[in-house]
Amino acid sequence: MNQPLQGVRRKLPTYLVVVPFAVVLAFPFYWMLVTMFKEDLDLYNAENVPYVFNPLQWRFWESATTKHVEFLFEDTQYPNWIVNTAIVGIVVVAITLLFALPAGYALARLSGSWGQTAGIGIFLVYLIPPTLLFLPLSPVIARLGLQNSLLALILVYPSFTIPFATWLLMGFFKTIPQELEDAALVDGCSRIQALLRIVFPVSLPGILTVVIFAFSLCVNEFIYAFTFISSTENRTISSGVPNELIRGDVFFWQSLMAATLIPSIVLALLYNSFLDRFIKGFTGGAFR
Amino acid sequence: MSDPTSELDGHSSELSRSELLKRGGAAAFAVTMFGALPDKSLGFYGPLRYQGKQLSGELKILQWAHFVPSYDQWLDSTYVKRWGEQNDVEVKIDHINNALLFSTASSEVAAQSGHDLFQFISPPSSFQKQVLPLNDIVQEVSKKVGPMSRVGRRSTYNPRTKAFFGFPDNYAPDPVQYRRSFLAEADVNLKTWEDVRKGAPKLKRAGHPVGLGMSNEIDSNMMLISLLYCFGGFLQDEENRIVLNNGSNRKGAIEALELMRDIFRNGMSDEVFAWTAASNNQAFLAGRLSMSLNAISIARSAENSGNTGLSDDTWLASIPRGPVTRLGNEHVMGVYVIWKFAKNKEAAKKFLIDQQLGYREHFVRSQYYNFPAWTGAIKGGFKTIRAMTKQDTHKPRGKYTILTTIAEKYTTNVGHPGNSNAVIDEIFNRYLIPQMFAQVAQGKIAPADAVRDLDREAKTIFRKWRAAGLV
Repeated sequence: MNQPLQGVRRKLPTYLVVVPFAVVLAFPFYWMLVTMFKEDLDLYNAENVPYVFNPLQWRFWESATTKHVEFLFEDTQYPNWIVNTAIVGIVVVAITLLFALPAGYALARLSGSWGQTAGIGIFLVYLIPPTLLFLPLSPVIARLGLQNSLLALILVYPSFTIPFATWLLMGFFKTIPQELEDAALVDGCSRIQALLRIVFPVSLPGILTVVIFAFSLCVNEFIYAFTFISSTENRTISSGVPNELIRGDVFFWQSLMAATLIPSIVLALLYNSFLDRFIKGFTGGAFR
Repeated sequence: MSDPTSELDGHSSELSRSELLKRGGAAAFAVTMFGALPDKSLGFYGPLRYQGKQLSGELKILQWAHFVPSYDQWLDSTYVKRWGEQNDVEVKIDHINNALLFSTASSEVAAQSGHDLFQFISPPSSFQKQVLPLNDIVQEVSKKVGPMSRVGRRSTYNPRTKAFFGFPDNYAPDPVQYRRSFLAEADVNLKTWEDVRKGAPKLKRAGHPVGLGMSNEIDSNMMLISLLYCFGGFLQDEENRIVLNNGSNRKGAIEALELMRDIFRNGMSDEVFAWTAASNNQAFLAGRLSMSLNAISIARSAENSGNTGLSDDTWLASIPRGPVTRLGNEHVMGVYVIWKFAKNKEAAKKFLIDQQLGYREHFVRSQYYNFPAWTGAIKGGFKTIRAMTKQDTHKPRGKYTILTTIAEKYTTNVGHPGNSNAVIDEIFNRYLIPQMFAQVAQGKIAPADAVRDLDREAKTIFRKWRAAGLV
């Protein structure tokens, strides 16, 4: 009898800290969930309680509607935008890994103190805002004949995912003891084999971090997605949703909420499934 | 008839069998006759349908995402499709959020590639060197339906270059939208700006402030420039010279600034400095605002929300009268341009001509938002337009007829009494007018100093564009 009570007492301070955070962080999701099923009449009446369906009743679903979610899926190109976003995200992640893994390793291992300076330099490239770059990049995309093509995004996005991923992986590779590679080299591995068999498997948390982060950057990016893609069916979520669901000065709030909640849940689940490794990846170089 | 588009039900976009056979026959005839003679048929805008290979290829159009989604649906899937079939052109139409039109246009210009037809919702004077002069098609339409409206002409004609840099297809009148019950309870009327000044504190006390933005967004821009007109504070004269700090213009501008400062201090809150174009809509639809100046998106959204209490209580009126005049800007000026790099210029021109000649359907499908730039494009002109708007059955019955009066008497172009030129375009798109009003309302600068500063800035902008040969 006393043991469970003691357990609760022991964990109480933790819960006192965690629960308010959880409520605050989960609230936007709850807000989106409720709003996406609201009738216009409910949403626009300022006298209504905004956190529930009005009129308030136990059978709350009778005050709700799915028509705005149906509108999103049936009257807009939302399913296409999801597919396009996934295609761009996956390909860009693959390209990013292809370049950032060897670059990060080289800067961490082979370049001595010069590597650190180069790493910072590469990271600074990531900080140049797309709002400055989209105009000079426009003629490049046009000359390559990639306007209104997902290939434009696949070409441009690595320009900011690779610098960030390289910088992140560089820090992570530095945490892996040099002795592990030396042992592999002594045992007859070439450097490439040592990389593939020893270094990369040990670096999995860092690689996963890069995967998730690069994918998130692709999902969130707006300027390039908006500028280089002009047709509705070719858009990604980040440019398609505001473009189709904000018309002039009219916002289609319920559909907007549905459109943002759906990918948010997918991304949240993705983050959570790799949470431990994600944290390890981010703090990889913190204690050296 | 609660939905204006129901007027068109009898003219369904779907073809009947006999109509299909008739058109098919005409198409076969046209292909046979003109298919081998493309050069001879070029430039013919006659009544024949399916004109064979007169036009061909692809036509790419970009325009704003209209606030009436059903208008875009009709335009994309019915009108454009039908026009494409009739002209042997594959038309692709894209829509973007209006706030992103200028950045997208800049990107296309930088790339020298993109759409053939690009529609702005304010006169894009600063892009004049990148676009084709459209005098030929303006004349073509004018010959058929009469002269272009003054607002359209002043928005797209450059007297210096003697060229129409754009083709105006529509404009939206900018009415006051107000809650009748709130105003009646507070005993406020909106006939003059002085009435607004006096009524604003009462309405704020009643919990329903007036909603007049002073922010970097289109609604604030349009409303505040209109306010300057009403007080005689014109930025430029008929010859497009900057005169804000001269004589009666200066006096009028200072009075307008003082009026807005009073309205803000006694009748509004700080939120108006951070408004977006949607903020007045949202505050009005939430039942908070007592009045706002906007195109009819507020009233239509109220109707679509199903909140009949709100919708029936939302009335429309003309802009309040000032000491000098009663005059407001169009809220949206739809102006198409054809880029010099456009690949299908002929098809683009014909699309614009045909669209204007058949504008009645666009007017109805847009729920009376898009007034034709050529009033005669709707046979009977304003008389017919008034009769059409009168048919709308939303309460109070006939409330949209005031739009015709506003369009006919109280609507002008940005830059009145001059043209909407590159100077005005830059001042408009840098939001210098809302910034001036906001600074005065916040007490950061005296009205007289604000007018002097804007006049100086405007003259600097003028010199730049004069050197570029555009004013």
